[in-house]
Amino acid sequence: MTAIPESAAFKTDETYTPEGEYQFRNSPEGVRRLPFPFPDDDYMYSMNLEPHVPAGDGALRAAFDVDEHYVSECGHRDQMLREMPGVHYLALPHMLEAQWDLLELIFESYARDFPEHFTLTKNGNEWRWQNRLLGIDDSFTFGDPATLPMDPMEYATRQAQGEFVVLEEKDNTLVIGAGMTTQRADYSLQFNLGMSFFEFHGPVPKLHEMGILDRALKFLLRMKPGHPVRRVNWSLTVHPRLETSVETLPEWAPDRVKVNRDNAGDMVYLRIELQPLHRLPRSNAIVFPVRTYLVSLAELVQYAPDWAKRIHRALASLDSELVDYKGFHRYHDAAVEWLSRHDDGAPLATGYPWAPEGIQPGGR
Amino acid sequence: MLITGIKSRPVYDELTPMTSGLGHVTAAQGSGGKPLVRLLGEMNPDQLAATTVLYSTESFTGQNYLADIQKFKVCGLIVFPANADAVRGLDAFLATAKMGTRLYISGSEGFIGTSMQVATSYGMNRDEVLREHAGSFSRRVWCAHCSHYSENVTRRVFACPGCELNLIVRDHYSGRLAAFQGVKADSEVPGELPENEELDT
Repeated sequence: MTAIPESAAFKTDETYTPEGEYQFRNSPEGVRRLPFPFPDDDYMYSMNLEPHVPAGDGALRAAFDVDEHYVSECGHRDQMLREMPGVHYLALPHMLEAQWDLLELIFESYARDFPEHFTLTKNGNEWRWQNRLLGIDDSFTFGDPATLPMDPMEYATRQAQGEFVVLEEKDNTLVIGAGMTTQRADYSLQFNLGMSFFEFHGPVPKLHEMGILDRALKFLLRMKPGHPVRRVNWSLTVHPRLETSVETLPEWAPDRVKVNRDNAGDMVYLRIELQPLHRLPRSNAIVFPVRTYLVSLAELVQYAPDWAKRIHRALASLDSELVDYKGFHRYHDAAVEWLSRHDDGAPLATGYPWAPEGIQPGGR
Repeated sequence: MLITGIKSRPVYDELTPMTSGLGHVTAAQGSGGKPLVRLLGEMNPDQLAATTVLYSTESFTGQNYLADIQKFKVCGLIVFPANADAVRGLDAFLATAKMGTRLYISGSEGFIGTSMQVATSYGMNRDEVLREHAGSFSRRVWCAHCSHYSENVTRRVFACPGCELNLIVRDHYSGRLAAFQGVKADSEVPGELPENEELDT
């Protein structure tokens, strides 16, 4: 890997840590292209799976989205891996075939969807990978780990936005076999590695009772290569902090009590998770990427006022068990109060923004 | 963060002879001797003659079933003074075991979990292993912050010997680590500790 070049469109000086003083912001266009996850004024989770086909010209245009934070996010990943080795990237020994599957999927998708930034040249198993955003030009033999400086999954996901969890199919369930998770929302990869679908969903309230897990697992086990599906999820985080793992809980949890009704707009970030799932062709594993987008409540108000109204209503009516599970009971009221000042109560469209009649950001 | 009511705790079996087995090995500890004696009593002479018994006399509650175990005519009985030794003994046994070997584990949750780590490392499938819990449900806890393992935890909140943080024990269990998860109990407001209840031991 070589030095990161300066780029006008791609921000290279952003940080996602307190030491770096959270130098992170979204452009107006960056906000308005987000996969906004609230189709209705009331929120309750559901399977909300849909075919992962290109939609609109925002975050859902590509198989794996790349946005203005690509360079800084890859830099953050490198920093996290160096600071806490063995915590953020783990792969069980038998997952090597799935690792190559994942490398191929990411590189082929990036090269197809962003040819101005990425080029993949194949000559049989001799591959050349050019990543102009990170200044990388490497040749390697597909399938031969000795020709890469690290695991194929680590190599590929160090150059990709979002976290990646690879699930192997075993005993009619899906088991976590590998993960690159430098931007986890409140769980531990070390702890969860090797867990089955029901086990790693154990801490999510209501899912079992609602029957969602059974249906989701049956659906996922029928997935075929070449037919990815996606869903969106969300949470709230204080500060634009990507790394909120269980391991570092003592570092970031105290921020939750610093939020009040006056600073909530700048301190509270909506954390949008775009999850495009793919069946991998050789290993039969399933990759579960979590592409995380951070946007402050103030940025929503400024650049996407209708989305700000929507999130106000969804948060105000949110089930208390979900508030607790998502970890923001300490500042839920403050965030709702701050948002209420920016909601005139006007009716809003229903549906995701990428749907034909769905809710648009508003303003302009 | 959910602390209680998490559905990842293992569901245990009842030890009963697996007729498909060509050879049998049992790993038991303390109170786990009780289901082991029941299992041996249900085996026919041929099965007993193909069974190796590993038993650790270390017990959280002081239960020892060695005298009862010694009454059975098994292929071999190896007694260990400590649970960790018995787990190592299981590792050594499985290193030379043949296809068709069936494994029976009984005892505390921590003992079953660490024995399962060994069985998994040899690629044993769930249908080749039976696990029966016996005795205390005291927990083995992994600290998410310093990776220290604490044995025989019985309270919801305790001080981690590794990093000295006050940990709250979640009902969240990892088979790979054979442990429950402990996280800083007063992570949001230092000193604001939750109620320190007795765990369901």
